Amino acid sequence: MTSVKLRMGLAIAAAVLVSTAATAHHSAAMFDDSRVVEIKGVVKELQWTNPHVWLQVTVDDKGARKEWSVEAGSPNTLSRNGWKSTSFKPGDAVTVRINPMKDGSAAGNFIGAKFDGDGRTIGRWN
Amino acid sequence: MRSLGTLVMVLAVTAGAQAQSPSSRPLPDWSGVWAMQGNTVFDRASVQPPTGRAGDAGVREAPPYNDEWEAIYRRNIDRVKAGAFPDPVSTCGTPHGFPRIMNVPDVYEFAVTPQATWILAENGPGILRVYTDGRSYPAKEDLWPTYTGASIGRWEGDTLVFTTVSLKASKDNDVIVDRTGIVLSDASHSTTRMRKIDAETIEAQMVIEDPKAFKAPWTVTKRYKKQPAGTWAWDYACAENNRNPITDSGKTLTLGPDGKPLDKKVD
Repeated sequence: MTSVKLRMGLAIAAAVLVSTAATAHHSAAMFDDSRVVEIKGVVKELQWTNPHVWLQVTVDDKGARKEWSVEAGSPNTLSRNGWKSTSFKPGDAVTVRINPMKDGSAAGNFIGAKFDGDGRTIGRWN
Repeated sequence: MRSLGTLVMVLAVTAGAQAQSPSSRPLPDWSGVWAMQGNTVFDRASVQPPTGRAGDAGVREAPPYNDEWEAIYRRNIDRVKAGAFPDPVSTCGTPHGFPRIMNVPDVYEFAVTPQATWILAENGPGILRVYTDGRSYPAKEDLWPTYTGASIGRWEGDTLVFTTVSLKASKDNDVIVDRTGIVLSDASHSTTRMRKIDAETIEAQMVIEDPKAFKAPWTVTKRYKKQPAGTWAWDYACAENNRNPITDSGKTLTLGPDGKPLDKKVD
């Protein structure tokens, strides 16, 4: 059973957390760069597609299953920075840090992720 | 004010007279894959705040706009603040256009041949064709405004010098220079000097003139860093899975995997 925590507003300097996702093809106005949300759940799917890679994570939110959509950069750029199309596999237990949507929707801009099983990280974590 | 037709004629004569024989000298080696340095603020020398990113509220540059076009820029800056300044490339169909093609993320390749140099932006569709075969611009009646315009160049030693004309004007922000809200008129044209300043760096200095929008020429310099040997550039199929369409009001939506908006308010 995956334990789920939603920690809002981690005190991490926004200036350090330059978004990777929204530079490619659209405005990033929907994301709140001043906040970091940590979601803990299970990978449902990694959409390895242009113009953006999307990580779908199923989160147990107070007993209800909720799917989060996490937007990352293009597969082109991510692949040149160590990502693979298989970096996230369905069923992986992960903790993902995002800049959340300003309106509170279950989506955000990818910052970094940590695999609960072996502690590996991807993206910016520290 | 010089008309576009007159400008094209003058440039055609100039380019024709100065064009070199394609085989007169060895061309520089711009092979490899390159990445623009810095973020996608077009003029990072004038951006405020200095660490500002294109698309963030309150970020602006200092193009030499006249009062009329400064007012247009300010309106666009206000739209950025409101989250309602749409990026036309989000439609996944329109090119970035010139000069924006010199200012995009992902990587570049520069294909240099005696007859032409192709600036290939992975993020796109993005191709800038610079003809160096001695041709002239098409006659006025055979030329129409396009996103990337018409570019004729020549080699001055190891420097590629090219002039870009016949650019599509921004109409309702359907072509922009960057996400701070900079736009140009149909009178804009540019001369670019592009050279390798060291083994790892190519520099492009653009002098942009816009008699309708600017009080003076605007000089902007971009640099591109060589990526490690063997780096790949890839297909960029923007329409493959575009989960960020734009509404009629200019808001960028975020779609769920089912294609329905996740946004709590769509418009």
